[in-house]
Amino acid sequence: MTTIVLGLLVATLLATGSYMVMRRGQIKLILGLGLLTHGVNLMLFGSGALLRGATPIFKDKDNFAQELATRAFADPLPQALILTAIVISFGLTAFIVVLVSRRDALTGSDLVPGELARYINAQDPFHTAGGQDISEVLFSDASDDYDILQFELDEIYDRKEPLPVDATDTTVESSTAE
Amino acid sequence: MIELYLRLLDRVLTPLLLLIGVVLLLRGHDAPGGGFIAALMVSAAIALQILSNGARLVRARIGRALQPLIATGLLLGVGSALLGVFTGQGFFAGIWWSIHWGPIDYKIGTPVLFDLGVFLAVTGATIAFMLGLSTNVIETTDEPRLGKRPVQHAAQPARRGEEAQ
Amino acid sequence: MLELLQSIPFQPTWLALPVALPMAAAGLLLAVARLGFRQRFRLQRWIAGVVAGIHVLLALLILAHTLAGDEGARIVYQMGSWPAPFGITLIADSFTAIMLLMTALLVVAVVPYAAGTLDHHRESMGFYPLTLLLLMGMNGAYLAGDLFNLYVFFEVLLTSSFVLLTLGGTPGQINGGIRYVVLNLMASLVFLSAAGVAYGTLGTLNMAQMAQRMDIAPDAVRILLAGLMLVAFGSKAGLFPLFFWLPASYHTPHPVVTALFGGTLTKVGVYTLFRLFPLFFPGLLVAWQPLILTIAALTMLISVLAAFVQPTIRRLISFDIISQVGFMLLALGIALDPRAPVTGFALAAGIIFIVHNMLVKTALLMGGGVAELEMGSGNLGAIGGLAAKRPYLAGLFFVAAFSLAGIPPSSGFVSKLSLLQATIGVHQYWMAAVSLLVSLLTMMVMIRLWQYIFWGEFTTGHAQWTPLRKPWASWLTLGPITVLVALSLTMGIFFRPVLHVAQKAANQVLDRTGYIAAVAPLADVPVEPEFWEPPQ
Repeated sequence: MTTIVLGLLVATLLATGSYMVMRRGQIKLILGLGLLTHGVNLMLFGSGALLRGATPIFKDKDNFAQELATRAFADPLPQALILTAIVISFGLTAFIVVLVSRRDALTGSDLVPGELARYINAQDPFHTAGGQDISEVLFSDASDDYDILQFELDEIYDRKEPLPVDATDTTVESSTAE
Repeated sequence: MIELYLRLLDRVLTPLLLLIGVVLLLRGHDAPGGGFIAALMVSAAIALQILSNGARLVRARIGRALQPLIATGLLLGVGSALLGVFTGQGFFAGIWWSIHWGPIDYKIGTPVLFDLGVFLAVTGATIAFMLGLSTNVIETTDEPRLGKRPVQHAAQPARRGEEAQ
Repeated sequence: MLELLQSIPFQPTWLALPVALPMAAAGLLLAVARLGFRQRFRLQRWIAGVVAGIHVLLALLILAHTLAGDEGARIVYQMGSWPAPFGITLIADSFTAIMLLMTALLVVAVVPYAAGTLDHHRESMGFYPLTLLLLMGMNGAYLAGDLFNLYVFFEVLLTSSFVLLTLGGTPGQINGGIRYVVLNLMASLVFLSAAGVAYGTLGTLNMAQMAQRMDIAPDAVRILLAGLMLVAFGSKAGLFPLFFWLPASYHTPHPVVTALFGGTLTKVGVYTLFRLFPLFFPGLLVAWQPLILTIAALTMLISVLAAFVQPTIRRLISFDIISQVGFMLLALGIALDPRAPVTGFALAAGIIFIVHNMLVKTALLMGGGVAELEMGSGNLGAIGGLAAKRPYLAGLFFVAAFSLAGIPPSSGFVSKLSLLQATIGVHQYWMAAVSLLVSLLTMMVMIRLWQYIFWGEFTTGHAQWTPLRKPWASWLTLGPITVLVALSLTMGIFFRPVLHVAQKAANQVLDRTGYIAAVAPLADVPVEPEFWEPPQ
C-alpha cells in the first residue's frame, strides 16, 4: 500500500513538474524543476525498502551488532544518495534563479518571457518575419546574433528603462492583424 | 525603510542561528548534523541580516571575504582527504585524535576537517548567491565586453523597425 | 619510451590525484585571486597551465601502466580502503587513460589560448578555476567505479560548464545558458532515476557488482535501465532526437569556452556509453543494433544537413560536432556484432575516432574563434578574405578542416577508414554508405566554411580586438592550434602504434570478467535471485 501511494506521488510530482517546465513563465520553470527533482528524490527514497519507524541510527554504539539483530533497520544508502542529490539540485536551482533574475534585470522587468522571446526572435536569422525571404535574412548584416546582442546590451545599459517591443516585426501581432 | 520588528527579531535570532550552526557543525561527524546543514543555518542568519539591514550593508561587511571563504573550504576539503595519503592509510582514510582538556572531551579527525571545508565552501557560495539575487545586478557588475577594448560600433546595423519605415 | 614510463612505479593511491589535484588547484586560484590586479592573471594562468601539464604526465604514466602485458592491466583504488561494494571505487584501464590524456592535453592547449584572447573582465570572473573544476569533473567521470559517483562527477562538470557558459553575462549567453541548464538538468534527472531503479532492483550501485547481477536480472529490468541510460547519456552526448540543447547554446559564449566544450563535453557522454553498454548490456547491444544504428545514421545525416544552412561560424561547427558523434555511436552499435572478423576492432576504431575528433574539433573551434575575433563577427555573409591578411591561420584552418573531412594523411582519414572497414566487416553496407555520404557532405560543409572565412575580398564587420596583431598574443593563440593540428597529422602518419593501443583499450572495455575480477566486489554479499520480488 505504501509503495502504491509513493508511486502515485512520484507520478504526480513528475507530471506536474513536466507541465510546469513546459510553461512559458520563468518562475513556473523554476518551480517545475523543483517538483521534478522532488519526484526523482522520492523515487530514490522508495528504492530502499520502506520500513516505518526503523531509523538507520544505532542507539548504542558499543554493541550495535545486538541492536542490528533485534531491530529492523531502514537502508541508509538511499538516504545518503537523496541528501547528495538534494545538495546538487539546491545549487543548480540557485544558479537558475540567478540566471533568470539576471535576464529579467538585463531586459527590463516589464517584459514577460513571451515578449522577450519575440524581441530576441526579431534578431534571429531564422525568424522570417513579415514575409521576408530566408536567404535575405540569412546573409544580411543584421543576422549575426553575437554583435546584435552586444549592440543591444550597450543600448540597454545606456537606456535604464524598459525596452520597447517592435510592433512591426512580430509574428504574433501580424497574425492577429490578419 | 526596513521594518522595525524585523530588526528586533534579527537581534535575537541571528546569534541563535549562528550558535545552532556551530553546534551542528561540531557534532555532525557521528550524530545528526554536518557541514552542509550548518552552512545553511549560518546562511539563514545572513539572509536575515540582508532582509533587516539591506544587501548593500552586508556586502560592504562580508562581501570581500566570500571568495577566500570558498577557496579555504575547497583547500580544507582536499587537504583532509590527502592527509590519509601522507600517513599511508590511503586517500580519504579517516584519521582521529582525541582531545582531553578539563571538562572538554572532544574527538577531532579528518571527517571533521572535511565537514569544516564543506561548511566554509557552502556558506561562501550560498551568501554570494543571495547577495547576487538581492542587489541590482546591472549596477553591481562591470560591463562585460567581447574584446579587450571597448566596442566601436562604426557602422551600426540598421534596426529592423527602422528598415520597415 | 613505454618501458621508461613503465619503470616508474605507480601507486594505486595516485589514481585519486586527477580528482584531488584540480580541486586543490582551483581552491588555490580562488585564494590568489585576492592578490593585486595584474599579478592574479599571471599567477592564475601559470598555475592552471602547470596543473594541466602535470595531468598530461600523470595520464601518460597511467596509460603506460595500463598497457603493461599482452592483455593490458587495470589499476583499481578503493577510497579509504573500504572494500568494493561499500567504498568508492576508482578504476582505470587503457581507455580511461586515453581519455584522461586527451582531456588534459586539450586543457593545456586551451589555457594559453585563453590568455591570448580572453578579456580581463572574464578572466577576473574565474575562467581558470572553473576550467580546473571542469577538468576535475571530467576526470572523476572517467575514473568512477560506481554509478552514483558517476552522477556526482557529471554534476560537477555540468555545474562548472553552466558557469563557464554564462561567464560575462550578455543577454545571448543568459538565454543560451537557461536552455542549456534546463535541458541538461532534465537529462541528469533521468540518469538519477536510472540510479534509483538500479539500486531498487539490483541492490547495488557498484558497477562491477551491477554487471554481475545484471546477468541474472529479468529482461524488464535490463531494458528499463538500458533505455533510461540511453536517454540520459544520449542527451549529454548529443544524439539525434535529444541534441537540441547543443546548437542552442554553444555559439553564445566566448570562443575559448566553445572550443573547450566542443572538444570535451559531448565526448564524456560518449565515453560513458562506451563504458556502460558493453559492461551492463552486452546482449542488448546486439538485440538493439537496428535502433542504435538508426539513431547513429539520423544523427549524422540530419545534423550535417543542418550545418549547411548555418549562418555563423560557430553555429555551423556546433552542428558538425553532433554529426561526428553519430560516427562514434555507429562504432558502439557494431562493437559486439557476432559477424565481426576481429573482436573489438569496431570499438577500437570508435576510440581512435574520439581521439581524432577531440584534437581536430578543438583546433577548428579555436581557429574559427580567432577568425571571429579578428573580423569582429562570425556571420558568414558579412565576413571574408582573411587569407590575404592571415595566411598562416588560413593554412592551419585548412588542414584542420580537411582532417575533419577525412583527407589523407590526416587522423580523419585513418579513423574513418578503420571505422568503414569495421562496418563493412559486419556486413552493414547501408551504414557504410551513409557514413561515406556524410563524409562527403562534411567535406562540402568544410569547404564552404573555409571559403566564406578566408577566400575572396577582405570584408569585415567591425573588428574589436585582434589577437593576432600583437606578436605574443599571436603565438599564444596560434601555437596551441599548431600543436593540435600537428598531433592530428602525426596520428595519421604513424598510425600503427595508435591502432595497437586502441585495439588493446577496446579489448579491455569488452572484457567484462576482467573488469569484475579487478574490482572484486565482496563475495559474502549474497547475490539473491529474488531481489526483484516485492518485499513480503
